[in-house]
Amino acid sequence: MLWLYLHFPHLLLDHLRRSNGSHESQDALVIVEGVGHKVIQACPTAKEQGVRTGMRLKTALSLSPQLHIVRADEQQETRILEDQARWLYRYAAYIVPMPPNGILAEIGSLQKLYGGLPAAWQTVEQGLNERQLNAWVAIGHTPLAAQLIARTGQGECTADTGHIMRALGRLSPQEAGFEEKTCIRLRRLGLDTLGEVFSLPPADLAKRLSPEVLARIQKIQGTRPDPQTPWQPPHRFHQQTDFVQDIEHSQGLLFPLQRMLQELEDDLCWRQQDTDSLLLILQHRHQEPTRLRIRTSGPEHRAEAFLKLAQIRFEQHPLRAPVTAAILSVKRFIGREAPDEQDLLGDTQDLNEAWHTLISRLQARLGSDSLTQLSPQADHRPERAWSASEVIRTSRRASSDELARLPRRPLWLLKGPQPLTQAPASWFSGPERISGGWWDGERVHRDYYIAQLHTGQLAWVFHDARSGWFVHGWFG
Amino acid sequence: MSNILNTLMQSDRIWQGRRHRQSTQPAEPTGYQVLDNQLGGIGWPRGALSECLLDASGIGELHLLLPLIKKLTGNGRTVFWLNPPHTPYAPALAREGVDLDQIVVIHTRDQGDFLWTLENCLRSPVTGLVMAWPGKLMSRDIRRLQLAAEAGSNVCVLFRERRFADQNSPAALRLDLEPDQHQNLNINIIKRRGSWPGQHCSLTMKHRADLSFCESPRVVQGPWPDSRR
Repeated sequence: MLWLYLHFPHLLLDHLRRSNGSHESQDALVIVEGVGHKVIQACPTAKEQGVRTGMRLKTALSLSPQLHIVRADEQQETRILEDQARWLYRYAAYIVPMPPNGILAEIGSLQKLYGGLPAAWQTVEQGLNERQLNAWVAIGHTPLAAQLIARTGQGECTADTGHIMRALGRLSPQEAGFEEKTCIRLRRLGLDTLGEVFSLPPADLAKRLSPEVLARIQKIQGTRPDPQTPWQPPHRFHQQTDFVQDIEHSQGLLFPLQRMLQELEDDLCWRQQDTDSLLLILQHRHQEPTRLRIRTSGPEHRAEAFLKLAQIRFEQHPLRAPVTAAILSVKRFIGREAPDEQDLLGDTQDLNEAWHTLISRLQARLGSDSLTQLSPQADHRPERAWSASEVIRTSRRASSDELARLPRRPLWLLKGPQPLTQAPASWFSGPERISGGWWDGERVHRDYYIAQLHTGQLAWVFHDARSGWFVHGWFG
Repeated sequence: MSNILNTLMQSDRIWQGRRHRQSTQPAEPTGYQVLDNQLGGIGWPRGALSECLLDASGIGELHLLLPLIKKLTGNGRTVFWLNPPHTPYAPALAREGVDLDQIVVIHTRDQGDFLWTLENCLRSPVTGLVMAWPGKLMSRDIRRLQLAAEAGSNVCVLFRERRFADQNSPAALRLDLEPDQHQNLNINIIKRRGSWPGQHCSLTMKHRADLSFCESPRVVQGPWPDSRR
């Protein structure tokens, strides 16, 4: 087995720089340790101005007064690492995230897929470039070997065990990640490099060192198994973008949102799935986060379509407060169907898509309850004989004989019966008695007539035994 | 006739009213032969606005459009009802053979949303017909809608009050609807594109309430209290 290790030396920094777009006009940015006031990551602009990692924050500030400062956050780093793992999962099936800043991937089995080790290596490096991430890559015959070499930043594309062992041999005990106590002990034994440790027989090492240290040495060498639990990506999409400077206008949100949606599109393409509802959470500094649900009326995967809907939502709801972070999450996935020439409704794909686009746009601006579809209901009471429902594309054609059995009704139904104020000019058919509703407490007992009013309107009027005459509909 | 006059008559530079060309604009037949004849044998213009001016609902205005609605929904085109004044009654539409899956009713909150929605519906290829009850409309709003209608190729009918008949409008077709006492609908053509206005016709709309069988109205001396009269 061969292992590939990606070490991200300043992941948080990359993530922030990526989130804030344009590369040229970037201000100096540093990541500061959580408790102390030490710079742990510095961007190239900051480095140009003389800021070094390990420097005290005060010194850094005096070197570069316009410095942006971000406090390191363990949870955030874990989350970002998981994003990278999800991306790497597209290339390799067997991957293990190694918090706080590494990912391990089994690469031996991928050689055939990519056509050799160099090709696989190149694919990963190219992906890293596209994602604007800095990573030190290394290959090792054991997980630990790969990790140790990657951390020194001297990884090479080779599967030769001897070469890897020589590279490992040059590492000092500190670089090999031993505890301080063990390092001192090794130095006292006269062992300055890992190579010297390897050359000793295991029996001697066992006598002088603790069993844990021996186990680690053997795991590096590959003489003791080091099983790794493969990681499976969760079946959801979740992406967070953190902004160094708060965003005050929705226009400014569109650029980072576009990138997030592009990643969603890639993710959906890769899964061969679609979605119809996105949740966009905008975080504010002192307020409850804004939750925007963006729905499409049909399955969709294109970033551009989502972005248009988001734009309409932003136009309708201006930002309540400056935004510090945006989270895009998708939990509902729909399997993608092969586009047919014609679907069940006999529509061509284009028309079907245009329908979904139009309805989605209207729903985004007006709210989904503003659009309704009508259907008849089996009830004798006129106000109950119809229902309004949310718009969906279906085909449920009633048979013609069923339609013929429906009684004659007006095309307009008033929202509620209106009192009849004037005697009608002429009477036509009637009475038609409608009586029902005793089963649910909304009892109706009416005699319906068709009558023409003096204004020329043809009305559907009824007489209620208790409360008089009403107009209930117009024959439009 | 003088030679000069003959030359002028043959020249294309002089437009002659009585020999106007048959309009070639795309249109949908109304389904009423009498009205189609009055509209130059074409019907509802597509890709343009039409206006129906009427004072009250229930005079047969929906039945005027029903043949078109039936035809379009049958072809899988969507018919939008934008801000209707009453509820379109589903059982009645179903009985007339309208495919209710293609009917979408939209209610908007304000004028801005109304215009935006109407424009979007008009520009979409899925739309067959948009029926809209706009309330008050500025002349420049109608102009904007006319442009949107030209972008698509749909029929758009605005229902407005008759008092707007005098107001100038860029709509391609304007009909004045008036009921009479025999359930007929009298239609006056106020404006039509490419020809003279002023035609009028009368459509019988008795079928909308199955009244044809009682030609002499069977007057029900209703249980009408004298005090109410």
